[in-house]
Amino acid sequence: MKKIFLKSPTGGIFVALVFVCLLFSGLTSKFFTPMNLSVILNQVSVNAILAFGVTFVIISGGIDLSLGSLLAVCGVVVALLSQQGEFPLAFAFLLTLVVGVLMGAFNGFVVVLTKVPPFIVTLGTMTIGRGLALLLSNGRPISDLNESLNVLGNGTVGGIPIPILFLIGSFIICQIILTKTVFGRYVKAIGGNEMAAFVSGVRVNRIKIYVYMLSGFFAALAGILLTARINTGQPNAGLGFELDAIAAVIIGGTSTRGGKGTITGTLLGVLFIGVINNGLDLINVSAYWQQVIMGGIIILAVVLDLVYQKLKK
Amino acid sequence: MNIKSVFAVLLTVGCMACSEKKNDKLVIGVSMLSMQNEFIQQVADAIEKSGKTAEVEIIIVDAERSSLKQVEQVESFISQQVDAIILNPCEFEASSPAVEKAQQAKIPIVNVNSSTKSKPDAFVGSDDAESAKMAMELIAKHVQGKGNILMIQGYMGQAAQLDRERGAKAVLAKYPDLKLLASQTGEWDRAKSMSLMENWIQSYGNDVQAVFAQNDEMGMGAVQALMDAKIKPKVYVVSIDGIQDARKSVDQGFLNATIIQNAEKQGSESLRLAIALAKKQKISQSTMLIPFEIYMGK
Repeated sequence: MKKIFLKSPTGGIFVALVFVCLLFSGLTSKFFTPMNLSVILNQVSVNAILAFGVTFVIISGGIDLSLGSLLAVCGVVVALLSQQGEFPLAFAFLLTLVVGVLMGAFNGFVVVLTKVPPFIVTLGTMTIGRGLALLLSNGRPISDLNESLNVLGNGTVGGIPIPILFLIGSFIICQIILTKTVFGRYVKAIGGNEMAAFVSGVRVNRIKIYVYMLSGFFAALAGILLTARINTGQPNAGLGFELDAIAAVIIGGTSTRGGKGTITGTLLGVLFIGVINNGLDLINVSAYWQQVIMGGIIILAVVLDLVYQKLKK
Repeated sequence: MNIKSVFAVLLTVGCMACSEKKNDKLVIGVSMLSMQNEFIQQVADAIEKSGKTAEVEIIIVDAERSSLKQVEQVESFISQQVDAIILNPCEFEASSPAVEKAQQAKIPIVNVNSSTKSKPDAFVGSDDAESAKMAMELIAKHVQGKGNILMIQGYMGQAAQLDRERGAKAVLAKYPDLKLLASQTGEWDRAKSMSLMENWIQSYGNDVQAVFAQNDEMGMGAVQALMDAKIKPKVYVVSIDGIQDARKSVDQGFLNATIIQNAEKQGSESLRLAIALAKKQKISQSTMLIPFEIYMGK
């Protein structure tokens, strides 16, 4: 048992997550209730979906800072398309996902063709995206949306909030792509050693573009969910979300240098951040202290993980 | 003739054109905090509209929330020799040099919406603390001076957040039986406040009678969370600004009230004072506070 646990690449973050859960359970009786756990899962669904997508980018050795802006553009697009009875909802979703994939493809093409570091390219698209979201919405929130959209964001199926179902679905899909497909292996190979992957016949450029498209797809899905949840299209939505998503991926044990990483780790990282946010609100820590504590715990979690990796060896 | 001299000639001609134009029309330079903000956009629209009626030339620039950029914009207004400047300051301290520079150049300057450390020739705006007092008084009246309240704060440390917190606490001090259960930041954001409210519903549930949100976006987020938890009718929610979305929500009976900040009047009055000062007329008062209005539905 101990051996299996130590072998797992996500052991460190798992321990950290259990630790904060025990801590909050001790501090307040309101934390460990089925209702509150459901609230946490519901709240982290947007960040989780963003983080799953960007996990592929980071494993391939890249980075995507445009996530928050892509989410905002797609959130505005889906809101515009689903204003009272304009189009069928399915059409609105499809088109929004296409927009996300195309914007991701743009990131990928520029990275591959220009060899400009992805940090800079996606920093650029982050600003472009924010501008587009403001342009499309005239800088104002878009409301009066199709009622069914609200159901998607705030309804339940069999007692489970719908965003949680999206979270589970995305997790399974990403887990399969990363661990069971050739594409997943190629992503890891490129992140591990791009030259070696190229020499052994991996179409590096093509895979890289796909990776950014995947990230764009999930950003669009997250944008749809967020718009459904707050029942408006907000051009300012998702400010800083890219950092939360990337933080979750790194906390979850994916290497910033690429080559290594798991979707399970990312999920644990997302839950870790979500639990801390929720717990600090429950025990009503002052707003100033929340930020200090949050940052401290994140650093602690990563250090814990490093210690774990050493123990494994 | 080399390129430099061509530029020099063009520049001279250009300047002559400028100064000719200046003779028949007053020119007012306007530097706004951020055109991405709906409320600021409305103030700018009002200035532009009143400028057309008053037949003065308006140059509006966007400081994009950077006080450094704002100071540079005012410097360029000074070198263009505008007749007056309207400043919508980015920051209390850091935008102050803009006011000082204009005054050194003897160009009248009017601050609109927020203040700077250096005193301008005139100020038009509203007292942020006052809006929070009005919101809190509404809540106090609704719960009859007794109950548990939650406050959703703006971005911590910003002038508007600090002033609105001060105003709210002043009213709370008046009613010993009003209890502030918790106050946290929703960062002016709808989604963030919705999550915050969901967490609060878990910890305080049925003990809450009212929520005060420091802006409408956050108020709307709280309303959404309360509606999903099916306890909205039990909780009274008031927020500030009076944006379109919020007024609509009040009309539909979701949000209980919003405190409207009069953008239209802030814009038109600041221009009226700027023109008066440019014409060297005496103005009756150098600080003009535009009152807030309570909106509780049609």
